[in-house]
Amino acid sequence: MGNENGSTISRREFARRAAMVSAAASLSPAELLHTQTAPAATVPPQSSTAPNLSPESQIEAQSRIESILAQYGSRLSDAQKADLTRLSNAAQPMLDRLRAYPVGNADGPGLYLKPLIEHESKPRPLASSPKPAVATSKP
Amino acid sequence: MPGEELFFLSLTELAKRIETKKLSPVELTQLYLDRSQKFGPRFNAYALLTPDLALDQAKAAEKEIMRGHYRGPLHGIPYAAKDLLAVKGLPTTWGAKPFEKQVLDYNATVIDHLNNVGAVMIGKAAMIELAGGMGYRFASASLQGEAKNPWNPACWTCGSSSGSGAIVAAGLAAFAIGTETWGSIICPSAFCGVSGLRPTYGRVSRYGAMALAPSMDKIGPLARSAEDCARIFAAIAGHDIKDRGTLPIDKAAFTYSPSVGTRALRVGWLTNAWKAQDLDPGVAKPIAAAERVLRKNFSSVRNAALPVGPWEDAGAVIWGVEGAASFRTLIRSGKISQLTDPLNQIAWYLNEKFSAADYLQALRVREVAQKKMDELFENFDVLAAPSQPVPATPLELNLETGLSFPDPLGGIGNICGLPALSVLCGFTEKNLPVGLQFIARAGDDLAVIQAARLFQQHTDWHKRHPKIH
Repeated sequence: MGNENGSTISRREFARRAAMVSAAASLSPAELLHTQTAPAATVPPQSSTAPNLSPESQIEAQSRIESILAQYGSRLSDAQKADLTRLSNAAQPMLDRLRAYPVGNADGPGLYLKPLIEHESKPRPLASSPKPAVATSKP
Repeated sequence: MPGEELFFLSLTELAKRIETKKLSPVELTQLYLDRSQKFGPRFNAYALLTPDLALDQAKAAEKEIMRGHYRGPLHGIPYAAKDLLAVKGLPTTWGAKPFEKQVLDYNATVIDHLNNVGAVMIGKAAMIELAGGMGYRFASASLQGEAKNPWNPACWTCGSSSGSGAIVAAGLAAFAIGTETWGSIICPSAFCGVSGLRPTYGRVSRYGAMALAPSMDKIGPLARSAEDCARIFAAIAGHDIKDRGTLPIDKAAFTYSPSVGTRALRVGWLTNAWKAQDLDPGVAKPIAAAERVLRKNFSSVRNAALPVGPWEDAGAVIWGVEGAASFRTLIRSGKISQLTDPLNQIAWYLNEKFSAADYLQALRVREVAQKKMDELFENFDVLAAPSQPVPATPLELNLETGLSFPDPLGGIGNICGLPALSVLCGFTEKNLPVGLQFIARAGDDLAVIQAARLFQQHTDWHKRHPKIH
């Protein structure tokens, strides 16, 4: 636990900073400078309609929106910013589920989709007596 | 003025009349053009009509046929192409304001293929801006405004091949070309009550088509029957050196003959394609009747279940990241603010922030999904399920909340590149179409065509059409 003089940090604060570093790593130096001057993120209170996120996921969603606002905020209206915040929160469970899904060493990424079509060469037998049409017949 | 029925004849029947010189391609083209000029605006169906090009092509077709050079079942047949396919010298707007002046100087491979078989392009079909881009909130997300459903103009056609659905349903052309990244052929086919084929990923070249999510984008026909879809698919399928996503020559090409025998198809009736509470009662009744048709007339129908996994999540990340990459210039320039839809104006910013690690995880999940679906297809040749759990929705509906139900079948079908074909299987009490879809193993497009064709041999739903006056 953190103490009063701030010499150590809480787990929540650690996670928040880690997420900020992670988000900042994807930015260009110029963007990074901009980000560093932005107000520090805080874990936002969850609205009743927001998904139920872990503290870490809340921080990630928040850092994502801060990154967007740092880069594009000047072109967005307040309503759009609020909408993006909602969307960022809503996207987080999707990412959490995806990351939690177990993949094995042999499950390589389908980098450019090549559908599995090997079985096409194994044709099924023709129907010996297909059931006759009863309603209408094709020309 | 010919009877309205002419406009709803199957491609097969039109071809028969053209081949035997009982129907003039020029006359047919002019009739469809007149009808399109009259009714197209009512449904916001077209981005552009191309009468000069169409009549030139029709005259050339007629001349050839009169000389005894009949190219095949699409020769002299009028069609519309979704406005994300490049046609040399014509506007190709992608349905979006930032591209409304765009004119490309080459043809999409699909257009070249259709030219080669003598088909006649009468116009570019309206579409949702940037094929849905990063999502959209309203049916009005298009340069042409909301596409109105010919069965009920107060309802939507679905998207993103919105104009393609309206054109075929209203009898404004014999067929239309659509595209699907996720749902954009199957849903308009269902809402508009037409037959629509989403081919296996890689069988139809996307060269000259707007790239949204390159590892998910597919091109396919919307038409009057499964057989019509098969004939069009045979014309547009094939390896293309200009699209690295196409399959090898022997896997991409498709040939079709109506005389080909129907396999003893093993049908899996999917029990978890949609959540029971999401299935509209108006849809449930025709779907139950369709299930009875299958169980009575197909040699094997057993219940089946999709594997459970984060397929939609993987699809959303792949789509989001690839889409953000495809339109990065548009995002960075700020011109996405010119898009019509409030969601499409901002969601790109979010998708640009997904990490490479998450994208690669999604691709690995895709591979797991492919393997699991391949295992499922050891026991079934085709899967069947409602195309959509709801009928056509009101034009003003907020789609973000009103069409927000889980779609695991759409997710897994599109991340695995599986072929699907939607056919009309009945109507709700409000006379809105209900679709039934067949899905098969990647590469086995013939299975979905055969299954849908057999269903249509035992029913006559596909011969119904709205009355347009």
